Amino acid sequence: MNIFLHELKAYRKSIIIWSLSMAALAALFISIFSATAGDIEAFKNVLSSMPEVLRKALSIYVDSIATLQGFYSFVFVYVVLCGAIQAMNLGASIVSKEIREKTADFLLTKPVNREGILTAKILAAFFSLIITNVIYLIITVSMTLTVKSEFSMKIFLMISATLFFVQLIFMAIGILVAVVAGKIKSVISISLSTVFGFFIISSLGSVLGDEAVRYISPFKYFDSAYILKNAAYETQFIVIEIIFIIIAITLSYFIYKKKDIHSV
Amino acid sequence: MNVIEIKNLTKSYGKARGIIDVSFNVEEGEIFGFIGPNGAGKSTTIRTLLALIYPNSGSATIFDKDCIKFAPEIAKEVGYLPSEVFYYDKMKVIDLLNYSASFYKKDCSKRIKELAEIMDLDLKKRIEDLSFGNKKKVGIVQCLLHEPKLIILDEPTSGLDPLMQQKFFDLILEENKKGATVLLSSHILSEVQRLCNRVAIVKEGRIIKLETMSNLTENNYKKFKVEVKSQINKDYFKVNGVSKFEIEDNIVSFLFKGNINLIIKKIADLEISNVWVEEPSLEEIFMHYYEKEA
Repeated sequence: MNIFLHELKAYRKSIIIWSLSMAALAALFISIFSATAGDIEAFKNVLSSMPEVLRKALSIYVDSIATLQGFYSFVFVYVVLCGAIQAMNLGASIVSKEIREKTADFLLTKPVNREGILTAKILAAFFSLIITNVIYLIITVSMTLTVKSEFSMKIFLMISATLFFVQLIFMAIGILVAVVAGKIKSVISISLSTVFGFFIISSLGSVLGDEAVRYISPFKYFDSAYILKNAAYETQFIVIEIIFIIIAITLSYFIYKKKDIHSV
Repeated sequence: MNVIEIKNLTKSYGKARGIIDVSFNVEEGEIFGFIGPNGAGKSTTIRTLLALIYPNSGSATIFDKDCIKFAPEIAKEVGYLPSEVFYYDKMKVIDLLNYSASFYKKDCSKRIKELAEIMDLDLKKRIEDLSFGNKKKVGIVQCLLHEPKLIILDEPTSGLDPLMQQKFFDLILEENKKGATVLLSSHILSEVQRLCNRVAIVKEGRIIKLETMSNLTENNYKKFKVEVKSQINKDYFKVNGVSKFEIEDNIVSFLFKGNINLIIKKIADLEISNVWVEEPSLEEIFMHYYEKEA
């Protein structure tokens, strides 16, 4: 419990900055939507005249752009991108901290086993993501109150919740990378390159319309277009996510337990 | 009773040597010295005892428990001071110490204050603002705050000024008097000589000598270097106990073991311009051991 609290305290500033930034991005777009509600038909025409490839790459769905949830899903792609960076950064940083900051000799000689340390750290990262999402939801949902037109709160929340789901995957990737790597010099550069790598794959996938790509990039696991249309998630991707996270975390425990901690 | 029992411990890092077939025991209540040059395997042995690294073969027990399997349980009664200390930079000293104390199920606040006072440590500063020596003091308090039964020190005095070294040694001796066993690794012979009852000498991953301090001090070599004003007879210093005799221009150097008065008298009879008397480096002592074995 002391490790959990210690880590949470260490990341509280970063949690607040990340969640406020993401919420601000979404809130900005929601307020743009409420301001331009009357002119949405004209906006639609502009969008329709854009090349289809560009629209696909930017995840713009003209049919639904007139509704808040449709408009929101357009900006939400970038919120998820930020969220993924935060999550991977958090996972990698929290687990690699003892090696990076050379504090392993301190923490790992305390009366607590390695599983206990890793569990506390993973829980702290998990809880940080929950706090992030709660802050994000409170701000964005209160922003939707300014929207006068009709919209589906259910779909709005369903789309928003995928932020958390995608973050969990990237947190697991971050944790796994941290235990496998010897010593990570710069966590942010690893997180950025990994996350952008997957993001580019997903954008290319949208342009090419290739179904297989959807299985590769976590950004495509929860397709806004599908949620807008069916008000549901796609089961196979939920299953993939759960399996992936279980494997990544189990593997992390296994490696962390066996790892030699070398002196600095 | 043995607090530490190490049996045929071997650890290699890929192809690089770590330690080979290390065996020794540390008895309850003693201060055990573990000496050898850098890279000899001292830290490797200690890190294995602390379950930071895992041995390839052999085993070690602390308090009769396997040091890998029961590491968390053993850690309750162990205080460890690494040779280079690093803590969470953003924390204040007191927060770090309280965090450290929170792992042991007892109230350590009084002891923290006591130790900080002895070591003259400012508890309100941030870790990142501390000098190397002050960080080391944090390490010392952190190592002793839970009153451990076994204290493991890995080259503890680097970074401490002589006054602090003295205070630190007094602290260790006091803990030892209260019943704590101490394992002290060092490459500084004099500090080992001052504190330890028994020593193990390690070189290139192997224990080459295990002996009591009294034995080692009997083998107390001094290194002499004399700059003479005029040429001297090559055999002038040929007395019992002189070894590695060398003359280079006006400089005469040799190792000496035995009654020191004898050699001082000899030097006094010479017309000299300078004289150096030094503790021989560990390397030189090792050389001596090798020569003996050969």
